[in-house]
Amino acid sequence: MATTATTTMRYREALNAALREELRRDEKVMLMGEDIGVFNGAFKVTNGLLEEFGEKRVRDTPISENTIVGMGVGAAMTGLRPVVELMTINFSLLATDQIINHAAAIHYMFGGQVKVPLVVRMPQGAGHQLGPTHSHSWEALFLHVPGLLVAVPTTAADAKGLLKAAIRDDNPVVFIEHEYLYGQKGEVPDDEDHVVDFGQAAIRREGDDVTIVGISRQALTAAKAAKVLSEEHEVEAEVIDPRTLRPLDLDTILDSVRKTNRCVIVEEGWPHGGVGANLAALIQEQAFDDLDAPVGRVTGADLPMPYSKPLEQIAYPHEPQVVEAVLATFRDL
Amino acid sequence: MADVAMPRLSDSMEEGTILKWLKADGDEVKRGEELVEIETDKANMTYEADADGTLEIVAQEGDTLEIGVTIAKLGSGGEAPAESGAEPEDAEPAADAEEQPDPGGAGEAEPRPAPEPATGAAPAGAGGSEANGRVKASPVAKRMARELGLDLTALAGSGPGGRIVKADVEAAVQDGGDAGETGVAEAPPAAEPAPEPETAPAKADVPPAPVAAPAGSGGGGAKGEVTQQELTKLQQVVARRMAESKATAPEFVLNAEIDMTAAKELRVQLKEMALSSDRPAPSFNDMVVRACALALRDFPRANGAYRDGRFELYSRINVGIAVAGQDALVVPTIPDADAKTLGEIARDSRALAERVRSGAITPPELSGGTFTVSNLGMYGIRSFVAVINPPQAAILAVGELADRAVVQDGEVVVRPMMAVTLSCDHRILYGADAAQFLGRIRELLEQPLAMAL
Repeated sequence: MATTATTTMRYREALNAALREELRRDEKVMLMGEDIGVFNGAFKVTNGLLEEFGEKRVRDTPISENTIVGMGVGAAMTGLRPVVELMTINFSLLATDQIINHAAAIHYMFGGQVKVPLVVRMPQGAGHQLGPTHSHSWEALFLHVPGLLVAVPTTAADAKGLLKAAIRDDNPVVFIEHEYLYGQKGEVPDDEDHVVDFGQAAIRREGDDVTIVGISRQALTAAKAAKVLSEEHEVEAEVIDPRTLRPLDLDTILDSVRKTNRCVIVEEGWPHGGVGANLAALIQEQAFDDLDAPVGRVTGADLPMPYSKPLEQIAYPHEPQVVEAVLATFRDL
Repeated sequence: MADVAMPRLSDSMEEGTILKWLKADGDEVKRGEELVEIETDKANMTYEADADGTLEIVAQEGDTLEIGVTIAKLGSGGEAPAESGAEPEDAEPAADAEEQPDPGGAGEAEPRPAPEPATGAAPAGAGGSEANGRVKASPVAKRMARELGLDLTALAGSGPGGRIVKADVEAAVQDGGDAGETGVAEAPPAAEPAPEPETAPAKADVPPAPVAAPAGSGGGGAKGEVTQQELTKLQQVVARRMAESKATAPEFVLNAEIDMTAAKELRVQLKEMALSSDRPAPSFNDMVVRACALALRDFPRANGAYRDGRFELYSRINVGIAVAGQDALVVPTIPDADAKTLGEIARDSRALAERVRSGAITPPELSGGTFTVSNLGMYGIRSFVAVINPPQAAILAVGELADRAVVQDGEVVVRPMMAVTLSCDHRILYGADAAQFLGRIRELLEQPLAMAL
């Protein structure tokens, strides 16, 4: 790997750079979505792209999610590489017919005669008092579906590298961003071919005592909790960010669990049928004899996201809950 | 048709050997009747029928089977056992079940709770064991214990809810093994030597058919023909625990000579009194047990154990007595020996020795010891060093009581002397303490009336 120069940029700017570079690189790439053009995107991810690439490739659409994604599916089937933006993951439910019944299944249904190189981008996450209709975390819903790839980038560099990989992939990708992360800064490689391959987890911190798997923003929460655990509890946590849930880099997680014998999974979504529930099952199936404690989970609360600020804050995981869940794998609290 | 599964008769039992069927195939059996004699890792026990029915024997005498494996069936005519958690009714047809036992398969379903062998006598430290006899340990701890041949039931769990975790197994390996109290100690035989009775029921377990050495491996070599014998469970436990003790306990040894003049006179008087009652006269070994028990009161660390980097001090003083029996060695325990009179200790020790010889001793009688006395005096051994019975802090080896020339007030005089040797685990019992402890034992034996106080 060549030593690459980096630039400090925000997560949203990294996404913007990825789109810009891919639009420049491949004329088949085009964008669709509500307010992505003239308004530069609800979260400014598409800032300046209409200006540079014009209406043909950066298209504002009506508020009609199923239709937008349907257009994307058709465009992808006929050879384009559309990137569709949905304003939040909550609204993606309106498009689940196109995403699950069509995008995910078409390659299979037609015996591989057609591909659907579609990317559907959407932000998730709580913390901005937007209530239950705008604040959920639903990577688990899309993880459930065979035929879809699911990315959950946490850092600016991964946001750029994974989005470029998603655009270049021939499979439909549900690309889940996070509203909180849009403003976070990070070092991003300038390399126009900075691509982060799907199915490769990142070890954010090495440790021997416990493995913490953090999903989406919770990879950051896990890293902060790991610092507290080290400084105040003499527990050295290994923090793993899977980066993509399909394909999942289970090997990296299992290797870590075999070393630490303990695992806690942190996610913002609901507990039942969550990413953690699924991952805990995989871990106990494949590393049962290496476990020293039940696989722990820290999840969002099992309720619609509250609007009230104090309630919202306690409805998704923060460091103290992660620290406590980790300590609970060691002793009675 | 109810299955009778190999029961769990002790905490650490993993498999049992059918010694003897007490009922014949086809007998009508009533609930509560003794069905079979089973050898566990600790003792031989009888197991009772927990339902009425016609006995159909599946496992033959001499078979060694895992817990939960079907050893017999109780046929219709009797009611199904109330707590038969073994197999759901919609399980396979009974005809197929003939092909069992099936170790590891469905037969491994929860064994019917045996007449619970009063595990209450086990030390409180064994936190990993639950009331149902299942050991609460994490998967990795179980795997490591399996690989290392450790007995998890002897470990205390430090994890949530007392779960035994990897760190506990690692600590046990570091500290010298499972440090359990299976009541099996080192070699020296009993206080009361007795020829091994011909009728020892344990005979059934010994027939490790001699295996001829493989051809070419020097059947007629320098050592002649080699006969390989499998160890019985007890012998396996003895081998493992003695090796653990030597490998892990940094031991030191103290010697002392005890003038038994007064003790001898006391015993003559006690003997005369015993003649007029039915009570057994206390032996010198009973006096030693009593003296140790009283001295242990004053030296808590001698009545403790080094475990997992901590001292464990026990409130009860339970003195074990090494007894030979059944081609092995067991250590029956006299619980609360400090609270018992010499007469009670004499009675208890005889009863226990008898039960060891007859094979009727039960695990509770072999567990919970906090200190051990081993006596080879009756074999004419002047003194010897005993191997500490882990995790106990010390063991007292008692030699022959014999007239010796000693110097007293500048004169050579003849006195009945007895040599005692205290082996100590220096991790918990240090030199000066141990010396005072042994001094206290000597004091009590040289002025035996003090033991009446």
